[in-house]
Amino acid sequence: MRPDHAWGAECAWPSAEPRHRPAPWRSFALALLLIGAAQFGHGAGIQAKAWLAQGLIARAWDRTLAGEREVKPWPWADTWPVAKLSAPTLGIERYVLAGADGAALAFGPGHLDGTPLPGTPGNSVIGGHRDTHLAFLRRLRPGDPLVVERADGVRIAFRVFEGDVLDKGDVWVTKQEGPTRLTLVTCYPFDALRAGGRQRYVVFAFEQPNRGGERGTRG
Amino acid sequence: MTEPAPVVTARHVALDLIGVAARAVAVALVSALGLGAAVLLLAQPARASETGTGALLLRSAEGAESVSAPLLSTDVAFRITGMVARAHVIQTFENASADWVEGVYVFPLPENAAVDHLRLRVGERTIEGEIREREAAQRTYVAARASGRRAALLDQERPNIFTTSVANIGPRERVTVELEYQQTLRYENGRYSMRFPMVVGPRYIPGALKVSDASRITPPVLRPDSGRENRLRLHVDLDAGVPLATVSSPYHALRTREVSESRREFDLADGDVPASRDFELDWAPQAGPSPRVAWFTERKHGRYYGLLMILPPAASPGARLAREVTFVLDTSGSMAGASIRQAKEALELALARLGPGDRFNVIEFNSSAQRLFAAPQDVNPRNVRLAIDWVRGLEARGGTEMASALRLALAGGEAEGRIRQVVFLTDGAVGNEEALFGLIRERLGEARLFTVGIGSAPNSHFMSKAAQLGRGTFTYIGRIDEVQQKMSELFAKIESPVMKGLEIRWPDGVRAEAWPARIPDLYAGEPVVVVAALDRLAGDVRVSGTRDGRAWEARVPLAAHGDGAGVGSLWARGKVESLTDSLREGAPEDAVRARVIELAMAHRLVTKYTSFVAVDTSPARASGEALKQTAVPTNLPEGWEYGKVFGELPRGATDSRFALLAGAVLMLVALAMLRRRVA
Repeated sequence: MRPDHAWGAECAWPSAEPRHRPAPWRSFALALLLIGAAQFGHGAGIQAKAWLAQGLIARAWDRTLAGEREVKPWPWADTWPVAKLSAPTLGIERYVLAGADGAALAFGPGHLDGTPLPGTPGNSVIGGHRDTHLAFLRRLRPGDPLVVERADGVRIAFRVFEGDVLDKGDVWVTKQEGPTRLTLVTCYPFDALRAGGRQRYVVFAFEQPNRGGERGTRG
Repeated sequence: MTEPAPVVTARHVALDLIGVAARAVAVALVSALGLGAAVLLLAQPARASETGTGALLLRSAEGAESVSAPLLSTDVAFRITGMVARAHVIQTFENASADWVEGVYVFPLPENAAVDHLRLRVGERTIEGEIREREAAQRTYVAARASGRRAALLDQERPNIFTTSVANIGPRERVTVELEYQQTLRYENGRYSMRFPMVVGPRYIPGALKVSDASRITPPVLRPDSGRENRLRLHVDLDAGVPLATVSSPYHALRTREVSESRREFDLADGDVPASRDFELDWAPQAGPSPRVAWFTERKHGRYYGLLMILPPAASPGARLAREVTFVLDTSGSMAGASIRQAKEALELALARLGPGDRFNVIEFNSSAQRLFAAPQDVNPRNVRLAIDWVRGLEARGGTEMASALRLALAGGEAEGRIRQVVFLTDGAVGNEEALFGLIRERLGEARLFTVGIGSAPNSHFMSKAAQLGRGTFTYIGRIDEVQQKMSELFAKIESPVMKGLEIRWPDGVRAEAWPARIPDLYAGEPVVVVAALDRLAGDVRVSGTRDGRAWEARVPLAAHGDGAGVGSLWARGKVESLTDSLREGAPEDAVRARVIELAMAHRLVTKYTSFVAVDTSPARASGEALKQTAVPTNLPEGWEYGKVFGELPRGATDSRFALLAGAVLMLVALAMLRRRVA
């Protein structure tokens, strides 16, 4: 009789030689660790990508201001900066990318195709993530200034009118009738953990009546 | 292994307890793992938030549909004789609310419909509509609306989009509008077919400013989950004149009543259906020499109107023509769902059918256009494989910027010694048709454009006119199981030589005015169809052309013949179309307008310049009561995906916080367990 079996195999659990075989739950734990690390990495990746990209886009924007068109921030990018949006009172600067689809939104707020470019007449719609680039929307108050720098270098001043909680089906906010404005769209509630809810937080900002800024022609 | 003697000791019991505890921990661990897996599974769909989200397509949608808008149901009865169908459409506006309402309903009709009657029915009374110039009709209607009288107005927005407006529908009241139209049927490859569209698919309006009437062609659309829908019932009386072999309705189940060998009646098997996809009826006469010539006449206003159809003999199988084919695939949001699957299948079939010696390229477009190869490539297994893989990976989302795709497809000059063909697969869900037609006209060159209308509610006006201007043909694919047959038919057409130089000579001494004025080239299986106005019927009309270098001529005696009721309207409709087409060639709008109005008034036709208006005699709504104006929402075409069409506001969040938190928690749990085991 081997000493290991001194107190009866039927009572021994885990099995007789626990120290020599990896316990199944050790593998479970390792798997759990890996899954956790992957999740964490995924989350960290999203944030890192979001902020690193803005740095690269800044360079592309400088080249855009220098006269180049549709400058891709990195060679395989399928988007390019179309405007710089800033909230001076909050010290915020964001480069707005072409297209408000997921591919662009990962790297910056996106301009919705088919609406006028920011700073041109009409209703320019910009979407972005509430937990990255457009997190600052929650801190905007009616009356706060917003400034759009266009590709031609012209700066247009806007003033926040209000912020509203709407449904994702409320596409009327993209209608073109009415004064020149920015419509900034992000998800709501701001503190929700998960993406994919129905609610949207929409900020409307109207163009400031011509105060020193020259008006460009339609882009 | 030897069985040890059971020795019960305190230590044994303690160990046993530890065992139980360990078991409990194991269960906890398994549950944790399960939870972890569940978390991952749940995280999966949300990850889409980072990549594929629908972009906004349509700027027209008001979002919420008005609750008080009347419900609309439609009843259609067709009477088909020979080459012509006459339809009687009854639209019932039912106001379920407690308000007085005006309902405006945007609906489709076949692109070649000649609408020549309108009636407004309120209770027992019937008010006949009158044809007026569009603005005059509008004024009459607005005045009636303001005075509280019931009124109906019928406008044409596009050759295949019409609007009925009905004013002063009382609370819980029902008002019906009846209209009638006449239509030439399609005859091809020995089969007749009739299509009746039931819903205007939401249209993409590019650049907001180029389409001035965007709001008039983009009614609000009912959300599929709203619990409301517009329903339709229909009845067909088919009198083919010759014994019928097969009759089929590919998209709707029918109940059939056989009246005689050559005549059958049909009703929808389900009674009524949601008005959400085109109805089609196809039939073929019994075997035997398929009809080669048909001639129907009608006498009206002291003139004869004739409809002539001649089918030239089939082409003898000859040498294949070397071709350069560009396939254009619409991957916009309106194509999402069933449509893109049909289109991809059709395209794959087409790619596989290309022969060695041909060249090809593929272009896809939504908000922008992209081509597979920078220049057309030879057909070889590698290139075809590449194309098929590329096409399979395409996703339908975004806008319908068709112009850039057309420019790309029609760019590139001569293809030395090859016939340039563009096969365009789309649902045509655009509102800027005229701009696109202009582009086709301007850039076509020696190329030929073949449109393939995809899905349950393609824009038939776009399909047929683009093909006409592109000097090609149009084909419809409404279901995945039709792809094979329809694409084979299309390929049979584009692979064999066309009948060219078609000419019609009316007998000497007969003054005739025929439409179309110039007969387009004919592809395999297509007949010549002309509508003519003649001062008398005598002698023979001669039709001639050449195919593959061989001359062909046919003679038809001009005698009063057949049941040609309504041919006069068709003639006028044909002339209106020719006049409208001339605008594209630079004809002055004022002159065209005057001629169209004159013609439309004489034949009581709705055109872009003339509308029907019917006004009740006495006021119904007291001046103190308010009138609510409502747009009657329409159904979403079958197989379309609401979110992909109307888009949604951009998605504004990532899962990063959740992932960070879940990841941290999982890692902590795992580390704690590992430490425990090691200890």
